Amino acid sequence: MRYAYYPGCSLHSMETSYDRSVKAVCKHLGVELWEIPDWVCCGASSGHSMGHLVGLAIPAKSLVKAEKEGLDVLAPCAACWQRMVWVNHEINSSPEMKDKISRAIEEEINGTSKIFSIIDFLAAFGMDKLAQAVKKPLKGLKVASYYGCYYVKPPKVAHVDDPENPHLMDDMMKALGAEAVDWPFKTECCGASMIFQDVDTTVSMSKKIVEMAYKAGADVIVTACPVCEMNLDMRMEQINKKFKTNYKIPVVYFTELMAYAMGSVPQEIGLDSGHCTDTQLLLAKIS
Amino acid sequence: MSSMLNLSAQQREHGDFADRVFEESGVDVRKCYQCGKCSAGCSVHICGGMDVSPNRIMRMVQLGMEDEVLRTRTIWACVLCSTCTARCPRDIDIARVMDTIRIMAKKRGITEGFNNANVFHDIFMNSIIKYGRVYEAGLFVALKLKQSGTMFADLPIGIPAMISAAFRMPKLPPKMKNSDQVRKVVENCKKIEGEN
Repeated sequence: MRYAYYPGCSLHSMETSYDRSVKAVCKHLGVELWEIPDWVCCGASSGHSMGHLVGLAIPAKSLVKAEKEGLDVLAPCAACWQRMVWVNHEINSSPEMKDKISRAIEEEINGTSKIFSIIDFLAAFGMDKLAQAVKKPLKGLKVASYYGCYYVKPPKVAHVDDPENPHLMDDMMKALGAEAVDWPFKTECCGASMIFQDVDTTVSMSKKIVEMAYKAGADVIVTACPVCEMNLDMRMEQINKKFKTNYKIPVVYFTELMAYAMGSVPQEIGLDSGHCTDTQLLLAKIS
Repeated sequence: MSSMLNLSAQQREHGDFADRVFEESGVDVRKCYQCGKCSAGCSVHICGGMDVSPNRIMRMVQLGMEDEVLRTRTIWACVLCSTCTARCPRDIDIARVMDTIRIMAKKRGITEGFNNANVFHDIFMNSIIKYGRVYEAGLFVALKLKQSGTMFADLPIGIPAMISAAFRMPKLPPKMKNSDQVRKVVENCKKIEGEN
């Protein structure tokens, strides 16, 4: 199996533990990744606010390279994934927009490459197959799966899972031998890029999620989005200072736990050093 | 916003705003019947990030209150999580409307509703136009220099988090074979949109 890989800026910058763990999981499952050569930023939170066309044309610039190679795309970052899904959605619903995007990127784009998020990509292997690949089951670990917004909303375009009560990440955690805690804030927004505009509001938003995971008895929060991870992980102490709490829940990518369960060592995937929250307790619990 | 408003006259004289929002976004705001579900589920609104609730924005668009809407903090504070869109019983893509109005405000140079958000978008776009990808360290420094009141907002993350972040953040700009790709796309888009 060969897929075009679109890492996006975060995975090549601060969030290398996501990049490394996705690659490790793919290796364990026999998936070959072809990184899109000279890919550009998807435009993320700003491109689409500058203009409708520019918000589509920027991600199309990288997407068309995968299309030409005849490959489907794996885009682990939730924001990158959704921007690319929007491109295909608009191309397939408006010939006029298809023409405009093609002119903007100076190449014809047809919207023929399917774009996978890491959640539906891995879930498609089937829980039995994933469970078979497990070498170190995560016995006794209570995991709160945090999906965030971009994978499930708006449901007309981004429908990886149920928009109000998604379960694919929970299913995968169970396949790894962990316990998936039932909690209500799976898709509550973390504040996303507002962390760069209004820290106070964003920290209040992130606090609600951490608090609920804590109340649900989670040992760890897993995410599939670099912005969710950053807003919860990097802001944990800020939350504690602002709200006089003492939350110490590690926040990691679900692919890190999966890679670990399938035999990767923590150092290889950044599970030991790729986060602001302390993952030592987590490592002690699962080793 | 004035405290007294003749709704019939307002709608009669300024009804074209809802039409223009429809043209730009393909979303018909007139379908909104003010159930308030969008605001009830909006995390940004609940946490105090907006000055006007999303359902009120919908009503203001219906009433043609263009200048007032374009000057709200709300249109910039929306992070497009699309919870409102997912839950709207009238199937209105509210997040898309927010994005559309933001583009309208930007075109008219109206950014005072939430200037720090506008500064972020400008710096982000400049970064990817220049380097092809986001240069996070450069972005971070530029934000601190150009936004008002955010200089020390990140200090409470604590020393261990700061060390972790500083250790992981690449110090040099991203390297690409052709870092000019985004600039070219942005220029082409301007040309194509200028034709219409």
